[in-house]
Amino acid sequence: MSRKKKRRNIEYKDIDLNIMPFIDVFSMLNTFLLFTAVFLSVGILEVQVPFLSNTPPPDDPKDSRVFEVKVDVTKEQVEIQTAYTRPPNQEQKFPFPNNADGLKQMHQKLAEIRKQNADTDKATVFSDDEVSWESLSAVLDTVMLRIEGDPIFPPAKDAKNREKAEIDAKLYLYPKIVMGSVMLR
Amino acid sequence: MASAGGGSKDTLSLNLNPMLDIFSILITFLLMSFSTDPVSHDVDAGIELPQSNTIVAMDEVPTIIVTKTELRVNDNKVADIVAGDVPEKDRAQGAIYPVFEALQKLAEANKRVNKPKSDDPNAKGSTGALTMEMDKGHRFKLMKRIMLSAQQAEFVQFKLMVQKELN
Repeated sequence: MSRKKKRRNIEYKDIDLNIMPFIDVFSMLNTFLLFTAVFLSVGILEVQVPFLSNTPPPDDPKDSRVFEVKVDVTKEQVEIQTAYTRPPNQEQKFPFPNNADGLKQMHQKLAEIRKQNADTDKATVFSDDEVSWESLSAVLDTVMLRIEGDPIFPPAKDAKNREKAEIDAKLYLYPKIVMGSVMLR
Repeated sequence: MASAGGGSKDTLSLNLNPMLDIFSILITFLLMSFSTDPVSHDVDAGIELPQSNTIVAMDEVPTIIVTKTELRVNDNKVADIVAGDVPEKDRAQGAIYPVFEALQKLAEANKRVNKPKSDDPNAKGSTGALTMEMDKGHRFKLMKRIMLSAQQAEFVQFKLMVQKELN
């Protein structure tokens, strides 16, 4: 018995994929993304100015001896000044040139100071009138922000918002910055 | 007479593949750089922000904008800036009077909104923080005047806008 092999005749056709809808979708997506794109990422540096209050802090007895960190900024140099509020004041000054290298050295010194006085999380910045905002922001960056290798200090015991304080501890070397020069004449 | 271009029935097919390639790359780039910051704000054309390593994103639009030539509070021009400072007529005790006036109104409104829910009729709400956008070329002298005006209007917290450095 002979078996007849059925041969399939396969016809190959040129199939054109309609890519027009695809291009339409891409165009719409492109337009949307280009309109909503933010090419400049904006951040913030949080600072505060001194204010007068006649309410004494509840857990701050009058005879307490507090360690203070001040940073004095001029066009040419930045100077760290540390002292206690009550005698013996043990005042110390560490000047650095106001440039990239000087600011790096200043950050190292500030980290060292913070290591020795972990409870002091506030730094007061005094600036000369002629210092530009660009230069001042570089100093604020140096004083405030932690860099790789800096230790993480525990948040202050009296922190109102514990959760925020713990996040801040990971981000900042000195989370509280007071602009000391802002005083009424 | 033969007409130019007539007669031929060949159809031209445009090769769309290179265009699709470009689109794909552009979309990939745009999707990767798509901002997820909570607030999207276009920095004023006349302002250059200083660079910073901060990773804290802006969370509200700026209240005070200081361009090279003018000072605005809530998008209303309150003072001119001439040679990096406000004119003498707008100054008062080192502060800027029109800024103080505008911020005082804002402080009152903020205090009403932020008033704590308590029975005490004298309970006061907080004024909140002020976000400030300032050109990097301005001197601290001008910033101090603005901060002083804000301080007199009971604002003590400031969020200073900077340009995040892209690592």
